[in-house]
Amino acid sequence: MTSLASGSRAAPTGRRRRSQLRRALPIYLFLLPGLGLYALWMLYPLASALFMSFFDWQLVRASPFVGFENYARAFADPLFWRALVNSAGYTVVTVAGQLVLGLGVALLLHERLPLRSFLRLIYYLPVITSWVVVSLIFVYLYNGQSGALNWLLVDVLGFLQRDVAWLAEPATALWAVAALGIWKGIGWTMVVFLAGLQGVPQELYEAAAIDGAGRWPRFRHITLPSIARTTGFLLVALTLGGLSVFVSIFVMTQGGPLNSSEVLLTYMYKQAFERLDLGYGAALAYIFAAVFFLIALVELWFVRRRLT
Amino acid sequence: MQSIGHPWLRWAALLSTLALVTAACTATPVTTPAPAPTGQPTAAATSTPVAPATGTPTAPTAAPTASEPTPEAISGTVTYWAAYDQVGPEFRTMSEVVIPAFQAQYPGVTVDLQGIPYDDLRQRLITGIAGGEVPDLLRADIIWVPEFAEQGALLALDQEMEDFDELAGQVFEGPLSTNFWEGQYYGLPLDTNTRVLFANRAVMEEAGLTEMPTTVEEFEAMMAAIAELGPERYGYAEGGTGAWNVLPWIWSFGGALTNDDYTTSSGFVNGEGTVAAVTKLKEWLDAGYLSPSILGGGSPTSEDIGGGRAGTVLEGPWMPPIFEAQFPELETELAPVPAGPGGSASVVGGEDIVVFAQTQNKEAALAFLRFLLSEEVQLEMGKVGQMPVLTSLSGHAELPDYFDTFSQQLETARARTPHPNWPLIDEALGNAVLEALRGDKPVQQALDDAAATIDGLLQP
Repeated sequence: MTSLASGSRAAPTGRRRRSQLRRALPIYLFLLPGLGLYALWMLYPLASALFMSFFDWQLVRASPFVGFENYARAFADPLFWRALVNSAGYTVVTVAGQLVLGLGVALLLHERLPLRSFLRLIYYLPVITSWVVVSLIFVYLYNGQSGALNWLLVDVLGFLQRDVAWLAEPATALWAVAALGIWKGIGWTMVVFLAGLQGVPQELYEAAAIDGAGRWPRFRHITLPSIARTTGFLLVALTLGGLSVFVSIFVMTQGGPLNSSEVLLTYMYKQAFERLDLGYGAALAYIFAAVFFLIALVELWFVRRRLT
Repeated sequence: MQSIGHPWLRWAALLSTLALVTAACTATPVTTPAPAPTGQPTAAATSTPVAPATGTPTAPTAAPTASEPTPEAISGTVTYWAAYDQVGPEFRTMSEVVIPAFQAQYPGVTVDLQGIPYDDLRQRLITGIAGGEVPDLLRADIIWVPEFAEQGALLALDQEMEDFDELAGQVFEGPLSTNFWEGQYYGLPLDTNTRVLFANRAVMEEAGLTEMPTTVEEFEAMMAAIAELGPERYGYAEGGTGAWNVLPWIWSFGGALTNDDYTTSSGFVNGEGTVAAVTKLKEWLDAGYLSPSILGGGSPTSEDIGGGRAGTVLEGPWMPPIFEAQFPELETELAPVPAGPGGSASVVGGEDIVVFAQTQNKEAALAFLRFLLSEEVQLEMGKVGQMPVLTSLSGHAELPDYFDTFSQQLETARARTPHPNWPLIDEALGNAVLEALRGDKPVQQALDDAAATIDGLLQP
């Protein structure tokens, strides 16, 4: 504290600056514990991971410096590209699914309906469940021998001739996990859309109705443009969520079978913590961070330029 | 490539890693051993019976050698991690019988046992090694020892224990060899096991079978008879395509994973015998003899055999007590793996006991380690399915009868490749067999691809 005060005394800006600082001091003091924890748990690991990414990091022994070798390795690693493509596919499907279904549910539950609050609660429930728990439940639903999904599709509806091992089939594993992602995310998307819908002026609909606009034109020309900012926010948030999918994949398929559901974070985790290739894992983490950052920038640009 | 020296490391390494490194460098025991009077073993060390729960009389504990401190002089907490099911019989015996007996003998020592599921244990250990949060003692899968030793995480027990040779002389040679890496022994064997053929007796009777198969041909006939019983009935269920799962067949068909020196896999993992084994598995799968659960995504094989969906499985000696608890109705017949052109071969499993380099309680940890290798403890754990490694207990009357089949199988059972890259080798084999069984690739091509991958992994 004293050093701060004496520092400000030395500054030539004078009295006013000093009294400002004195007013701000308690605020900074209150922020200090939080900032300290942030530095300890976020900045410090970030910095050490960056450092590690330039070494063939060893747990106990001395680590050889390898420069950018870990980064170069990633670009020559077919599984890295596989994980990138899988992550992109997962993200496109889950973002689209959550946006469309979340908006649909929000529109329905925006109407005055009996049991509206109850239904909103029901749709929101999956959001607050534990990822691990629902992932394990979905493993049961998808079971290739006695799962509920096979029972429904094969025995009840007759859509399929024989049981499918949804999570053990390279063609279906990633999409089966994506279905869980959509189911679990609809509620949150719905709540954000509902908030956006509250802000649409009712007069616009009344005026449009007088002009003879039907349901679809009203939705297309009033609702959608009015919630563009909400949609933009959701697009960015859901994309980052999709790219950082981990728990459900790790619990349900471990990236298998045959890497068909390997995504960026599971691949990074495996390199670091299963193969003990910690330097490579750290380099992958930084590459992914750069990818995420770029995608978010492009989306923000798109939202600013085109949606609003 | 340049190696970073100590100043660099100090500047930047994780605090915990640093602590771990320094601890490893200055490995001084925390408790100073008090010299024991030579030739006078203390009373406490000689006469604590281990098995009060069962009431069977037990032999006295081996007297400590002269160089060891007396039990009273040792104190501290020993953390012990083991892949025991928390509600299983092994965990119960360890926590309710073995540890209390040890603590009675060493009043200053507390053993903190943590039963961690097998799949989580490796993860916990790896994150633990990185963060300096590891147990003092670990019941390690034999296949992990080279990997952790290579990381520098384990104490070389042949250097740390004066009585190492004496202890090593009491155990079976095969399990002992799994502790050897780059010229040193990093552990001692704790238990051994292998996989043998289990058959559901009720299913056999339903299919009109009376004899267990001894050859692959007889096994095929058996599977065919069971598959005939109806849809979703299988002769045999296997839990996956990894090395633990398929090596018994590969070896029994005369195949192999690598050469004897573990330097190359070309000509072995894609050689005639291995191709024949995988081709056979695919035939069985396509014919409906082998449950599709081998491809993943189905039920555990224990439920398949327990529920009568499958007639046979390959399982280890820990299974009978578990079957007894989960499927009280189930009666099983045991036999060695059906013999093929390569004879009847199975895969050696088991656990070693290892001490982590940064232990703060080395004396106490080693005392508990010695205790775990005593005849009473080995016998007591044997009763719940953990096969002893002491040669003196071979065929002991108090051990379960079903151990006979396992002992017989162990005579021809072989070890998996001891190599720090083993998890990757295992994955390469598992993926290749999966691709072959799914029909994604012809068997030969899938295994050729695996050979190329594994050859790279075997390079030093």
